[in-house]
Amino acid sequence: MSERMNDDAVAPTTIDPPDLTIVTGAAGWLGTGLVTALTGAGHAGPYHRPGAVRGLVRPDEDSRHLPEQVELVRGDVTDPDSLDDLFAGHSGTVDVIHTAGVIHPATSMDEFDEVNHRGTANVMDAAHRHGVRRVVHVSSNSPFGTNGDRTDRFGNDEPYHPYLGYGRSKMDAELAVLRAVDAGLNAVMVRPPWFYGPHQPARQTTFFTMVKNGRFPILGDGGQMRSMTYIDNLVQGIVRAELTATDPGQGWWIADAEPYTVNEIVATVGDALRAEGIEVKPNRFRLPDIAGTVAEKIDTVAQAAGRYITQFHVLGEMNKTIAVDISAARRDLGYEPQVALPEGMRNSIRWCLDQGIEL
Amino acid sequence: MTRAVHHDCDVLIVGSGAGGATTAAVLAEAGHDVLIVEEGSWVEQGSTVPFSLDQMDKQYRSGGVTVALGLPSIAYTEGRCAGGGTEVNSGLYWRPPEATLELWRTKYQIRDFASSDLLDICAEVESELSVQKVPGEHTDASDILRRGADRLGWRNDEIPRWMTYPEGAGATEGQRQSMTRTYLPRAFASGARILCDHRLDKITRSGRRATGAELTHTVDGESSAVTVAFRDVIVCGGAIQTPAILQRTGLRHRVGRTLAVHPTVKLAARFDDPVNTPEDVSVFQVKQFAPNISFGGSASHPGLVALALTDNWRDFGSAVTAWPELAIYYAAITSEGRGLVQAIPGVRDPLVTYRLTKRDRDLLGQGLARLAMVMLEAGAEEVYPSFKQAPIVRDRADLATMTSMFAASKASVMTVHLCSTAPMGDDERRCATDSHGLVHGTDNVFVNDAALLPEAPGVNPQASVMAIAIRNARRYCDERAG
Amino acid sequence: MSDTGSTPRTVARFAEGLLAADLPLLADDRRHETVEFIGRRVGVLPSITRFGVLAIGAGVDTAGMIVGHHRVRRVITRLPLPLLAEYPRLVRSLGYAYIWETWPDTDVNGASR
Repeated sequence: MSERMNDDAVAPTTIDPPDLTIVTGAAGWLGTGLVTALTGAGHAGPYHRPGAVRGLVRPDEDSRHLPEQVELVRGDVTDPDSLDDLFAGHSGTVDVIHTAGVIHPATSMDEFDEVNHRGTANVMDAAHRHGVRRVVHVSSNSPFGTNGDRTDRFGNDEPYHPYLGYGRSKMDAELAVLRAVDAGLNAVMVRPPWFYGPHQPARQTTFFTMVKNGRFPILGDGGQMRSMTYIDNLVQGIVRAELTATDPGQGWWIADAEPYTVNEIVATVGDALRAEGIEVKPNRFRLPDIAGTVAEKIDTVAQAAGRYITQFHVLGEMNKTIAVDISAARRDLGYEPQVALPEGMRNSIRWCLDQGIEL
Repeated sequence: MTRAVHHDCDVLIVGSGAGGATTAAVLAEAGHDVLIVEEGSWVEQGSTVPFSLDQMDKQYRSGGVTVALGLPSIAYTEGRCAGGGTEVNSGLYWRPPEATLELWRTKYQIRDFASSDLLDICAEVESELSVQKVPGEHTDASDILRRGADRLGWRNDEIPRWMTYPEGAGATEGQRQSMTRTYLPRAFASGARILCDHRLDKITRSGRRATGAELTHTVDGESSAVTVAFRDVIVCGGAIQTPAILQRTGLRHRVGRTLAVHPTVKLAARFDDPVNTPEDVSVFQVKQFAPNISFGGSASHPGLVALALTDNWRDFGSAVTAWPELAIYYAAITSEGRGLVQAIPGVRDPLVTYRLTKRDRDLLGQGLARLAMVMLEAGAEEVYPSFKQAPIVRDRADLATMTSMFAASKASVMTVHLCSTAPMGDDERRCATDSHGLVHGTDNVFVNDAALLPEAPGVNPQASVMAIAIRNARRYCDERAG
Repeated sequence: MSDTGSTPRTVARFAEGLLAADLPLLADDRRHETVEFIGRRVGVLPSITRFGVLAIGAGVDTAGMIVGHHRVRRVITRLPLPLLAEYPRLVRSLGYAYIWETWPDTDVNGASR
């Protein structure tokens, strides 16, 4: 989380925070940001809540970076029995925020289904069993594919058109949530596209390095539109989805106010790096549009064969427009993003430098 | 063949549709001696059932089976009768969007093309054609589209039509105010003449001047030659025939190179109750994703329902017996692709081709999926998308199956909005005619129909065609005394 | 060039066979009437399309005489052959549209309900 949340970020919500908040994937990128905000981690920001915050962390996962206020529970969403410990020894109201997921699998494509789909189903089951008050499932843009035109914006309700293995697993996860809702669970979903900010993993650092070296691959004219979500905006969206009274089963796009062009993203990152005194080479790395199509084909073939190659996956998505309309979140949740790309990227880069990460 | 019949006139107008009929009225009322030649027949409103095969036989070119070749090919239809497409289309009226007019003015360097002037003409047209909304009840097919869109929170509107209704009457009781009931009678009242069943074969030309026209008159299968001498000729044959006529006259600069259409994909949706109104279409359109994507209703008589199910007859066919419970809807897109119209020497009809871009193909898929979702929200039991091997869609999870199987090349793509094959503007690199329809490189050959629209307008184009035709016809009268 | 042709015999033969296979219970007189309609529409197709249909129709008919009409029909209705697959598609579209517009109570097997 950035050093300080904007103080004006919070408007009233309709439900009091619960006595216990459970966060899955707590040691992950989003999870870390979220539990840091919820516990206040030393200084009371707008999302600090009085109740306990419990984080699910995998048995072998490094958790040293998590604030000490977080109660750690070792377990795995793929092991249903291990989830019961999350609810142990607690009475009172409980909310679950389900952030655990695999974006780029380390070993096999099966991870997508195991973690994202079946893991979500396990979490929903456990939540239902333990009488949880409200569940927020963190979904993605990938169950919905890409926009057919650069000026198209995904509305809040869209037909599923999953983008490859990840998209299919996140779609199946949404369907698992909706099934649980039908069975009586009070669950809602937030859908952040490409998020960024402090606590980011190494692959995002690679992104900064590529821009710095003038080696970021811009496909075609770079006018493709991408919605992005700064992590503070996402935390706001999650908390509002949790604490605003709505019908269960709904989902909302949570993103920065407007989508950006790829050119704009690269230029903004360059500016943010320069502002930190880092020398940035002009970006001349342009590839024809077809390179994205070829990469997508390779990615498709590789995934069909059970292999996942991050570079091709990222490049294959690079010439697409993925742009969303957040007006439903504004209307239903009072969501109002506070940070846009220039500030968000500067925070991100400062965080990397503070961590001693070489850019 | 008997000896050629000959006619003389000041102005020969080729075609009697939205462009030709308005041009004829404006010129005749200004005192010009106008002769209209029309390839099709005069068919009284009401003598054919709307959207029936019989109507297609009598009032469409080639019985409605015309196609722009490509991958996929795009089926299109052209009116071929007195009044042209205005006699047979859905009658839905859209003013051209102001931003579109502004874009055309600057991009194609169209002189004296103030959007406010054109919108003033639109207001005249609206009163002449009695453009209005349905005073009484809507059809079930209309309500379905509105209901589905409302549940999704998607913008939808009732589109007014050029129809008159008995007081308080419902949607199916409208009387279409087509050209044979409006501008053509006006033209005749001022002395204009029309020759129906006269096909224009060729315009003879000497340098920059057209000198005469050669036609074939067909009656009861018997053909005879006809010649016409004129001072000026105005070609209003529609976006396919106009460029073919110009090319046969030797006028090729930017002619037939930039065919623009609104490609559409369709689906049939089945409901619990009877919803099919065979002789009418939905007056609602969903514009949430406009201009890229629009949704509307298609004609749905049982023959067309059967046609919509043929893409996957093995799985869909049994639904045909439930046709009263089915209605057909379309998703239309604006297209970045372009097509060609090419007259071929010695062959009657031009070759028409169209190429969809990748963006167009993606958008067709996205549009069809969103349309299917509207149907599910409206309460459809089953949705039958019109592409080969398409699955039956019953719920949202089925939509994922459908989107993963869709490819534009497998779809039954069609269009009814054809334009831009002789674009107007002073930019000669882009345009076939000047800013008022005079074909570049000629002194007396004009175009005044949908071919002039520099691009497809993103909405039903008839109002745009009429407004531009009236504008150009008035300019013509200002410059040449009757 | 003739504007309209009489029903080309090759197309009529193919349409007869296709409709008889698709809709086995369609009455003979209805099938004949439908085939006539298909022939009329093929006759007024735009020039290039008409040439294409007639050429494919002749090819399919010749192949049918050699290896059997039934077999040829199976092949071109099942395989996604470019252009060739458009031929049965056109015949079916015209035929089904005519049948259900003219006799809306027709069952999916062609029987009159």
